[in-house]
Amino acid sequence: MREACISSAHTVTGLGPNLDSLWHGLMAGGSAIRPLTRFATGRYLSGNASWIDGLKSTDGRSGIYPLLERLLDGFGPVPADATLITASTKGCVDVMERLQAGLPGDPAEVPMAQLLSGIAARFNLTSQGININAACASSTIAVARAAAMIASGRSEAVLVVCMDLVSEFVFSGFSALQALSPGACRPFDRNRNGLTLGEGGAALLLMSRERALREGRPVLGVVAGWGAANDATHITAPARDGCGLIQSVRQALERAAIGPQQIAAISAHGTATIYNDQMELTAFRTLFGERHIPMNSIKGSIGHTLGAAGGIEAALGLKCLKESQLPPTVGMLEPEEAGEGFLSRSVQQINGDYLLSTNSGFGGVNAALILRREEI
Amino acid sequence: MDVYLTGIGWVTGAGFGWGRRGNDYSFPDLPLPVLTRKDVFPEPNQRFGRMSNYAKLGLAGIAFALRDAGVETWDTKRPFGVIASTRMGCLATDLEYHQTVLLNGGGLASPNLFAYTLANCFLGDAAIQFGLTGSLLAINETGEDGLGAIRMAMEELAMGEADTILAGICDLPVPDAFSDCVTLKPGAVFLVMTATQPVAPTGYGTVSLGDDGGLLYNKVHAGSLAALIQTALGQCNS
Repeated sequence: MREACISSAHTVTGLGPNLDSLWHGLMAGGSAIRPLTRFATGRYLSGNASWIDGLKSTDGRSGIYPLLERLLDGFGPVPADATLITASTKGCVDVMERLQAGLPGDPAEVPMAQLLSGIAARFNLTSQGININAACASSTIAVARAAAMIASGRSEAVLVVCMDLVSEFVFSGFSALQALSPGACRPFDRNRNGLTLGEGGAALLLMSRERALREGRPVLGVVAGWGAANDATHITAPARDGCGLIQSVRQALERAAIGPQQIAAISAHGTATIYNDQMELTAFRTLFGERHIPMNSIKGSIGHTLGAAGGIEAALGLKCLKESQLPPTVGMLEPEEAGEGFLSRSVQQINGDYLLSTNSGFGGVNAALILRREEI
Repeated sequence: MDVYLTGIGWVTGAGFGWGRRGNDYSFPDLPLPVLTRKDVFPEPNQRFGRMSNYAKLGLAGIAFALRDAGVETWDTKRPFGVIASTRMGCLATDLEYHQTVLLNGGGLASPNLFAYTLANCFLGDAAIQFGLTGSLLAINETGEDGLGAIRMAMEELAMGEADTILAGICDLPVPDAFSDCVTLKPGAVFLVMTATQPVAPTGYGTVSLGDDGGLLYNKVHAGSLAALIQTALGQCNS
């Protein structure tokens, strides 16, 4: 099996236009969660989200396009033979909202095909690509698929592009499900009361090591393991025992050919809903016992970016391994008892080479990635 | 790599059925049948009536394919994967849900409908109904041949990501406001494919990928999903 290396990683989030701004914002304990002005929120449980200036659909085009411009402008060259995989749960949902409200908009933007074709055309890719929709684990599964394709020799390069917007469509839904925090979310806090939505994107270029060396590209880290499994329990709630997440992580450990003791840090999903966070802590206790592994959630800083979450967290995971530091869990004041020793409001040191990144979502989906530090 | 086809199930404008039941298969551009619980499950099913039409369609296709493969019933959860290709996803449900958002400034948004506004959510229902614990996901693609999910499943099987994967398509009719931008034949069609040769003969053959990326059935180019199924059913029933 070939190594699946990440040679380029870029993010756009509420904390800024690139990975460095995200890193510095997180390390400083910053948060981009603030009052929303994009639409009226008076009838919803919350008025807050982590949003990005300039993404409101105003001329009939989706706000996804300016997000993609910011994401891909700073990304650098992509080989034409790269396979394209995107990850988005709702794509140009803002155009659908406009059309429903009788405002101008192009219906052709709503299906994902046009977005895929646009990204492929931008980089002159021969691959027309696919979009993966696996709820909040979409981009985790996209990165896993990319790694599998490289490891098996089916592709030498894969471009993964992840994106989702804050829309009234999704905002109203989570409010109706009573899942929004009235203030800013507090991942893994004993008194957490729901999630806060966010928007953003990530772009990752995965390559075989041989191809990266041949092209003189850097290797930022390696996707050493991956796994995905369904709870088969409920379509919107996680399994209390964390069965799907446990299975995903075990698959990832097996793929990486390492034991649980080699995991040096965990980037958890940590949405700050009562049941998700409890499920994750249950799963991690089952997997790692009482060992205190540094763990965090960044959703108190940039909100829950849905289909982009796993991609952003994977890009950030590479930075964490490089710097041997894990940013604080912003919003958490008093950690859940089961998370004591794992979670911190301060920066934690990473002593080891492997970081586990996990996401779970509607439909019972769970997915895990294990990232390995690139030896310098 | 050859993978083994073990089951075929469908809901199309011509009706619904599965391979060894002996139903005729065709994929006409006709309205879909209105599925009732009794059409899909012989036993009472409390969830089915609450599902969106998109979820009912996809779940029925999966149920029929599993039934054809002889693995619909289960005692222990199994690590089967599902890959469902969809061009419009749950757009019809999205539109229905959004109507509830437009009422009363969002204050009457329907949580039940919102739960079905992700293209993969019906796979959660399938996971619960059939005990499927593999990787279950929906994909959107640009191609119109309906083979994207089949190709992806074959790659996943070849890469050792799973031993059994259901793959197929699921689309409701295109909503009127979008009919100028997408043309498709509505329906759900799923295949059950395994990396391991079945112990008992299934009557079906093997599926493989050609050098050009095209799908082969028993080493012969299939061309389209419909053609692959027609060939498989013809050989199975002959």
